[in-house]
Amino acid sequence: MRWWRRFTQRALSEKRLDSELQFHIEQRTNGYIAEGVPPEEARRRALIEFGGVELYKEECRNTHWENQWDILARDFRFAFACLGKDRRFAFVAIFALALGIGASTAIFSVVDNALFEPFAYKDSRHLVTLHLRDLHQANDWRGLFLYDEFQEFRRRNDLFDGMVANLQEDVVYSAGENSLLLAGNYVTPGTFEFYGVAPFLGRSLEPADYQAGATPVFVMRYKTWVNRFGADPSSLGKTFKLNGISRTLVGIEAPRFAWGGAELWMPRGPEEPKIVRSFDGRQYWGVVARIRPGVSLRQAAASLNVIAQHFSKVYPKDYPARSSMEVESFAHIVTPPDFRRALYLFSGAVGLLLLIGCANVANLLLVRATTREKEFAVRAALGASRLRLVRQLLAESLLLAIAGAILGILLAWAGVRTIAAVLPDFTIASETVIEMNRAVLVFAVVAGICTVLFFGLAPALKASRCNLEESLRDTGKGLSGAPGGTGLRNILVVAEVALSVTLLFTASLFIRSFVALERVPLGFETDHVLTARLPLPPDRYKTGAQLNAFFQPLLVRLKSMPGIADAAEASTIPPYGGIRSEVEVSGKAHSEKWYGLFQLCSEDYLPLLRIPVLEGRSFTEEEVNDARRVAVINETFRRRYFEKEDPIGRKVQISRLKDFPDVVKEPSFEVIGVVADARNRGLTEPIDPEMWIPYTVTGSAMRGILVRTVKDPKALLKTVAREIWTTDPTVAMAEPNTLDYFLDLFTFAKPRFGLWIVGMFAGMGLLLAAIGVYSVMAYSTARRTHEFGLRIALGASARDVLRMVLGQGLRLLVLGLGIGLLASLALSRLIANQLWGVSSYDPVTVGRVAALLLCLGMTACWVPARRATRVDPMTALRYE
Amino acid sequence: MSMAQEKAEFLKGTLDMLILKVVAVGPIHGYAISQRIRQISKDFFQLPQGSLYPALHRLEERGWLEAEWSDTATGREAKFYKLTRTGRKQLESEMLHWEKLSNAVALILRTA
Repeated sequence: MRWWRRFTQRALSEKRLDSELQFHIEQRTNGYIAEGVPPEEARRRALIEFGGVELYKEECRNTHWENQWDILARDFRFAFACLGKDRRFAFVAIFALALGIGASTAIFSVVDNALFEPFAYKDSRHLVTLHLRDLHQANDWRGLFLYDEFQEFRRRNDLFDGMVANLQEDVVYSAGENSLLLAGNYVTPGTFEFYGVAPFLGRSLEPADYQAGATPVFVMRYKTWVNRFGADPSSLGKTFKLNGISRTLVGIEAPRFAWGGAELWMPRGPEEPKIVRSFDGRQYWGVVARIRPGVSLRQAAASLNVIAQHFSKVYPKDYPARSSMEVESFAHIVTPPDFRRALYLFSGAVGLLLLIGCANVANLLLVRATTREKEFAVRAALGASRLRLVRQLLAESLLLAIAGAILGILLAWAGVRTIAAVLPDFTIASETVIEMNRAVLVFAVVAGICTVLFFGLAPALKASRCNLEESLRDTGKGLSGAPGGTGLRNILVVAEVALSVTLLFTASLFIRSFVALERVPLGFETDHVLTARLPLPPDRYKTGAQLNAFFQPLLVRLKSMPGIADAAEASTIPPYGGIRSEVEVSGKAHSEKWYGLFQLCSEDYLPLLRIPVLEGRSFTEEEVNDARRVAVINETFRRRYFEKEDPIGRKVQISRLKDFPDVVKEPSFEVIGVVADARNRGLTEPIDPEMWIPYTVTGSAMRGILVRTVKDPKALLKTVAREIWTTDPTVAMAEPNTLDYFLDLFTFAKPRFGLWIVGMFAGMGLLLAAIGVYSVMAYSTARRTHEFGLRIALGASARDVLRMVLGQGLRLLVLGLGIGLLASLALSRLIANQLWGVSSYDPVTVGRVAALLLCLGMTACWVPARRATRVDPMTALRYE
Repeated sequence: MSMAQEKAEFLKGTLDMLILKVVAVGPIHGYAISQRIRQISKDFFQLPQGSLYPALHRLEERGWLEAEWSDTATGREAKFYKLTRTGRKQLESEMLHWEKLSNAVALILRTA
């Protein structure tokens, strides 16, 4: 390690250098003394003959590579001082670079993680899901299949390289007061081999687990294990009482395994008894297959259709009149094809963002170079070598690049963290992990650094290449300014402005769409309402009377509690209403099928949600307790099926009730009232016909409660839970929360997230465009200092100069704005299906975007324009 | 390139060769090298004596010379230079080159 010793022992070599030269001088002095010259004179002569000691020392040092480091350090110190003198430039340049790197990396990482690569499953590109489509209504009939159908489909191994199915079921984990309701999935043999994800702890389900008579086992999701069981490794191998069956926990799955959104997976062999428990007696399985390479989706669908045709005769109720099987790529669940197109566009825009960031930095460096042309000419004239100039500029550029890159990486990191933190549940696939995309980060950083180095060095190369006298004489003089590169820079600014207009326009549309969504009248009041699903143990709650025995005392008790205004039983949580059923209205003949939603609820449901009765009345406590066949319908139901007739006293038949395990033989209900419309298919879908009937008519279907509180509803969560325990300790309470929370989660969270991303993107674009306008205007005014001086000397007022500079900026802005708006209108069709309640050609949005952009753009022009007016004609002209 | 610069470049190349030639006789310190060049050339090269040292350091850095600190006859420590194997090769090739050049120049001067 000689080189290392040389590097670390630079002080020693310095001493030796001195000693070597001194030796020479001493010898020479001694020589003169020997000739009889007096010592003083001898030394003087020796020194003169030797020449400048320090100069030669420096030259010697320069031949040693290790000393280059000191020179480099000096270069950096000097560069630091130079940048410090021009702080505004340094900040803007670093910020522009960091923004370009940070924003593009963060946004691209999220898009890539969430939408392009959300799954960690083996060969996920070839995974497909199956759907049955109703050809009459052109919509999805069902994406779930009966076990028989699944088994038939699976036989087609000429099409598929494996197929698995999962059946969702609520699982009550009984552990006294700590009982939990967990989302369970029954899975078919081979599921874990199919997905090819190794477990985090223990083992996955194995073929033997699916055999009839095997010890009941299950595996758990990583997140559930951490959140609910404190990541306790000793829970492995323990026995859990799940839905009354003791099952052994054999493994914790990998963090990114979340198939079916379940919290635990249980084996389900083909021999096991078919019925476990379900609301309406039938079991529908979600089916996933891996399509064989070379088999097209259409081919597979056509082959499956043959099987489906056969089953449509066996299970006529599960098939619409004309149906067709459809095979869809797995990726399309998360990104439907039209949205995917928008995404590609979006990713392209992210690339542009980086490009703009770099272009801005380049521009800024050129501005600076222009203003320093003379400085470099002078330094070259004073003997600075080309190498020296290049090195010093390199140091400056490196400082900028490193600072920009570090800040950019921090921004990217913070951006990804922020997005991951605000990302609502259920927005993206549960398997997705939002993390920084390193390849993109490296690319962005390298692109940024290269830009800085390239454009930072340009002036040094120019200064050392060009002829000194010319440079000293000519610094951007003449009335037109040097035209070289101006065109390119102008195009750049126009492009930046156009891009940011497009982004702003898109963001504004999203904002307006979101505001429109928030203003949708729900038709009921959600504030101060608590809600919880209550999965009742199926063995003891089979009939309506049994349900009544639980709910009736519970509701009475809750209503008597302080702080609770009202309580009701409900079968679904608004604004998603009811169970879909075919309906018949007495005395009405119709050729096509009629459908409606129905809710099983208690008498307080409608008043609790403040849904007003328009006609007739709501049902009474007695009617509920006696399970009377009465129904309340909504306005849409009356309009659609009764038209102008009086509905009160008429009979409606709810056919679906005939299929329930706790069957309702003659499901005919007398209409006793009509209530105002309330949203029942989410906020954006039209309202469906809906009916409310006493919950006691059947023991089937999922149940829950709604509680209206006087003050903060969350404060009463514990009280409500305790009352439920007291009524029946075997009942687990699932996901209790406020109605507002669920409304936000299922309705607003997703658009808000989109808003966030697009808004962030647009903000960055706007900021970068402003920096771009600023840097170009600053450049051109710096070039024209001489011209302005001359104009002012010839009598131009500050206002004239200001108008000239602003006019030039305005031209660029207006051009960019025009192009951007045209592009926005062309592109907005792509996002039209993501918008709600606002046209993609919205004039208000256009106006706002234009105004905002012009304001910001003119502000960016204002700074250099003001500087131009302050040009002192004497100074500007004397520089000649 | 200006005239002065050309002369400096020319001298630098020549000086390197002279140093290599002088050092070839054995370990020798900087002062002795400068004395020998002066004596042999009869003060033809009017260079400041110090300019020898950057050249010595450059040649050492290039690996043509190697140096060692040892005592002189008077007991003072000095830096002694000697030729390396590559230095010797370099000297030979430069001498050959120089000989060819001077022969050619002499031929032209005599016959033209």
